[in-house]
Amino acid sequence: MHQVIQAVILGLLIGGVYALMASGLTLVFGIMRVINVAQGALVILAAYLSYALFSHAHVDPFLSVLIVTPAMFVLGVLVQIVFVRSLRGDDAEELSLLVTWALALGIEGVLSVIFKTTYRATSPSYADKTLTVFGYQVQFVRLMAFVGSAALLLVLSLLLTRTKFGRAVRATVQNPTAATLLGVDANRVQTLSFGLGVSMAAAAGAVYGVIYPFNPGSHYDLISRLLSIVVLGGLGSLGGAVVAALVMGVTEAVVAVEWQPTWASFSYFIVLIVVLLIRPQGIFGVRERAL
Amino acid sequence: MSRTPARLAAVAAAGTLVAVAATAATAGATRAGAGPIKIGISLSLSGDFSDSGKAAQRGYKLWAKVANSHGGVLGRKVQLVIQDDTSSPTQAQTNYQNFITKDKVDLVFGPFSTLLTAPSAAVANRYGYAFIEPAGGGPAVFQEKLHNVFFTQPAPVLQSADVFVKFLSSLPKSQRPKTAAYPSLDDPFSSPIADQVRALLQKKGVKTVYKTIYPSETTDMGPVIQKAASKHPDAIIGGTQNGDAYAQVKAMVQQKFSPKFVFLTNGPNDPAEFPSKVGAKNVNGIFSTGDWFPQEKSFGNAAFVKAYVKAYGGSSATIDPSSAEAFAAGQLVQEVAAKTKSIDNKTVISTLHKGTWKTVEGNLRWNSIGEPQGSDLLMEWIGGKLYPVYPKALALHKPLVPKPGWGSK
Repeated sequence: MHQVIQAVILGLLIGGVYALMASGLTLVFGIMRVINVAQGALVILAAYLSYALFSHAHVDPFLSVLIVTPAMFVLGVLVQIVFVRSLRGDDAEELSLLVTWALALGIEGVLSVIFKTTYRATSPSYADKTLTVFGYQVQFVRLMAFVGSAALLLVLSLLLTRTKFGRAVRATVQNPTAATLLGVDANRVQTLSFGLGVSMAAAAGAVYGVIYPFNPGSHYDLISRLLSIVVLGGLGSLGGAVVAALVMGVTEAVVAVEWQPTWASFSYFIVLIVVLLIRPQGIFGVRERAL
Repeated sequence: MSRTPARLAAVAAAGTLVAVAATAATAGATRAGAGPIKIGISLSLSGDFSDSGKAAQRGYKLWAKVANSHGGVLGRKVQLVIQDDTSSPTQAQTNYQNFITKDKVDLVFGPFSTLLTAPSAAVANRYGYAFIEPAGGGPAVFQEKLHNVFFTQPAPVLQSADVFVKFLSSLPKSQRPKTAAYPSLDDPFSSPIADQVRALLQKKGVKTVYKTIYPSETTDMGPVIQKAASKHPDAIIGGTQNGDAYAQVKAMVQQKFSPKFVFLTNGPNDPAEFPSKVGAKNVNGIFSTGDWFPQEKSFGNAAFVKAYVKAYGGSSATIDPSSAEAFAAGQLVQEVAAKTKSIDNKTVISTLHKGTWKTVEGNLRWNSIGEPQGSDLLMEWIGGKLYPVYPKALALHKPLVPKPGWGSK
């Protein structure tokens, strides 16, 4: 039992970071119906930025979130304006998939040229610190990453529920046409939301590099996980993304410890398939009505 | 007799076969003349293997530069014809086909990695070319049983960790591990090496308490190490590549699990990267293997290291072994030329199959299918530096046993 509880702790802590990454993806999908498959590459880009700040300017990776996040918010806004906004017509959703995939490959290429393909890791002095709580080990950096992710998700949630911008976002999610008729500037909402989605990836990326070694190709694995989290949680649902990420983290950790790591990812996908058979819209997703 | 389309096609096919056979028969012969010796090399200068491909390129170019500064080979300058294969096996095959049939090079050297070497060696074999190759040591290369292949490292990949077993066997019985855990990456160059070690150690009475293979997308080694640690093994023996090796060590450190022996097939053998990934204070006592190291007293190694640093900067510690492996390919051609006064491919193949050949990679000899018959070096991190510690004759430091706790010297 001790082993299982230890695995659950490991899974919950890492699930929190995945929740932060996935929150940006689900937010952007909810508002624009854009599946941003560059989200994983943006996480890795942020991991490199944080790594560079740590290596060259000795900026603590957790503090680097304060620099990396706004910088990548601006990048996200520019990407939306230049690449995504111009997509029109019935094919816009499918085209956005291709455009963001091209963006992911572009980011990977640039990172490979600048940083080469060798693995990097951001290793502050406390990287190896472990706390023992009631006989269970809790890695300090994972705990920090979890707490930071939870705090940012709370801020994002408050932003969406307690501000005028948040109301505009939710109105656009529910009915873009009605929102526009009521005076919501849909273009502005979409642009800022895309930037917000990218900045969530940035915050998660900055701490990702402290937990895992990474290289430019690490985004392929990330995006497959993030997409499955968003689908399990329900496309466009922030709460769903959080729950799904935690389910993924815990399922994988427990299966790896109690059974075999080979089946860790597979077991999560079994959970995903079962949920989708029962609730095709995902845990918290809303079933779209046919017109 | 009427000429039906089927008959015409048969005649054309027969003609083509004759033409190909004639080309193949003559292509392997060295073209006489006073021009430069052209050597075709396909390298991964872009794509997944580009870092290692570029390191091999530095080794090849350095050898050509050094050879030319000494008058070339058999009085002819060496000219390398290098083409990027974008890390693609198909492109590598095309490149070698072009080197031989269009560029009409005198010799070819191998590309980077088993994935590209196996199909490329078959192309060279078809035309009777020797295939001296620095980086294709996996089973796929030797399964073809080609007589023209010569791998310029001391041991094939699958046997690369046998030296660790020999080292453990050399220890007093009280110091040897009694139990071992084998967490390995699902990769043809990782888990089979650990399996080989496990089979050998089991025969010597080392009990396997845990073994698992994790998929390449496993980023979190926490659960894997947690399970291994729960079995309290004396040794962790991991078939790893760099990324998962770093993650395994980090997980062990974070979980305060410090076994008496840690051996990882790849990762710790990268002196430039390993300390920065796992923390310089966590490297000591960790074993890996290597085919080359800068201080090795092998043939021409000191001159190679000196010339490399002069040409490319940095220090001896930053030299990628891929550069030395490529350099060794050139050394072999020089030695064959000195011995036989020929670089004819047939001569190169038959000559290299006899005897032992001195290179920066040590003294090399091969069986009939190009598998080297030597042993890799056992490397260990001691005092923050990576040293060869076994076999004794090549050791530069006494082994550190058992592994000190994390954060200790």
